[in-house]
Amino acid sequence: MALLDIKELSTGYGDLQILRNINIEIEKGEIVALLGSNGAGKTTLMRTIVGLNRIWKGDVFMDGQRLTNASSTKIVSSGVSIVPEGRRLFAGMTVTENLEMGAYCNRKNIKEKIERIFDFMPRLRERKNHLAGDLSGGEQQMCAIGRALMNEPKILLIDEFSLGLAPTIVDSLVEIVHRINQEGVSVFIVEQDVQLVLDMSVRAYVMEIGEITLSGASKDLMNDPKVKEAYLGM
Amino acid sequence: MKDKKIILFFLFLAVLIFLPYIVSGYWLRVLTQTFLFASIATGSNIIIGFTGYPAFGNIAFFGVGAYVTGVMTTTYNVPFLVTLPFCALSGFVLAGILGIPILRLKGHYFAIATVGIMETIKEIVDNMVETTGGGMGLTLPIMVGEPEFIYKYFYYVMMLCMLLSVLICYIISRIKIGYALRAIRVDEDAASVMGINTPLYKTLAWAVSAALVGIAGGIYAYWLSYIDPHTVFGGTYPVKMFAMILLGGATTVTGPLIGAFILEIISELVWSKFIAIHGMVLGLLIICIILFIPKGIFETFKGGFSFRKLLNNLRENSL
Repeated sequence: MALLDIKELSTGYGDLQILRNINIEIEKGEIVALLGSNGAGKTTLMRTIVGLNRIWKGDVFMDGQRLTNASSTKIVSSGVSIVPEGRRLFAGMTVTENLEMGAYCNRKNIKEKIERIFDFMPRLRERKNHLAGDLSGGEQQMCAIGRALMNEPKILLIDEFSLGLAPTIVDSLVEIVHRINQEGVSVFIVEQDVQLVLDMSVRAYVMEIGEITLSGASKDLMNDPKVKEAYLGM
Repeated sequence: MKDKKIILFFLFLAVLIFLPYIVSGYWLRVLTQTFLFASIATGSNIIIGFTGYPAFGNIAFFGVGAYVTGVMTTTYNVPFLVTLPFCALSGFVLAGILGIPILRLKGHYFAIATVGIMETIKEIVDNMVETTGGGMGLTLPIMVGEPEFIYKYFYYVMMLCMLLSVLICYIISRIKIGYALRAIRVDEDAASVMGINTPLYKTLAWAVSAALVGIAGGIYAYWLSYIDPHTVFGGTYPVKMFAMILLGGATTVTGPLIGAFILEIISELVWSKFIAIHGMVLGLLIICIILFIPKGIFETFKGGFSFRKLLNNLRENSL
């Protein structure tokens, strides 16, 4: 069984259905991308996995454990961490405090974990006593990734990875994600820059108006005429 | 720095403990009233300041506490001190039940909903004429003893209530739930994806806050020995409570207490001479606080007092 297994998932807001019968499987140690135009439901899917939206139908399994409509405490404890869209840092807290909040469900060795994240992203160490709201966009994204890693996740969800960041900063963040992945953490990533994300990932899913319409190896998708036309403008 | 603060707090406490042997009956009453407001403000601050949910109508639980003590001492002849745990319990349970639906609202909507609750409970109490006396009010049995002793008794009971509120606030700010509440205040969705059970902690925060306010209400009822719905549910209490919390600093443990002392003592010294414009001055004060020290006295003057900070705040807050 896959590490994260989403089966026939449907959800929405109020009466409005957004996602229809989503099936996604992510294996241990994979980087998987989720593509789709604005309004396709990518963020909704991310929110649903971490328990911010109620699941109408279908199931989410993590490591064989059923997480359908479980409390967010249970979901996070099972090893799912998210870097939310727009980063959602605790703006009034310092970088260190934000990292500490990330360890809310997993309080073992907090000091060591913070040190490791600082080794990983030295920029954060320089800024550790600054308020998160005062950081630059790239530093905030690093802080959000660091915060998610404090939970020692098995899978890291990243929503809108490069939104509003300069290309050079994106390059260094890609590097960071690869290093996280090398330690055995699966990564499920939502990104608008199709070229970038298909280069990063092994497999990808394409989502259109709430449904998965295409999936496969990233290399194949890059040459797929439909993807080329819709996302790469070729 | 930290030790200094603690020493200062205990010094303040020692002064309060010995004060009844020095000052007169009138000032004892003023101080008891101040303790009452300090209890309400500190207790309410758990939901308002720590969690960031402006429970404007938190006074509802003050009234509930007052009526629990009132009805229990008159109808069932229960001793006063025995009624206090019931005041706390009724506040806790009521806020716990109401919190489940109402804490889904945020900001202004939540504030208005709590005012709605306050008015609803007031109407219910007003119409339960047989048990509560309705609009006629409820007269509680008067405590037996020398007036001097009674003054001191309520002074100490109210002080204990205030200290209990401060202690519980302090504990909450130190343990896991305190961090959870702080995260909820800053960004609730982000707190949730950190694995914090936000509905549970919000509700718990409101319930504890209501319990503390309820105890204050119970003591108030027995102290004044007369309550009626229109004074205990509303009046100027919510506005005063908010002014105190804002003045002292909503995110701190002892801020509301200090706010209560400053506001009550000033109002006793100055405004009691201008009863007619009391409300206007209070409103003016809130505006000044928001303009000059939006974070409260504590946070703003952490590094010492300066006019520059006041002016900077004004510039940043100008419309």
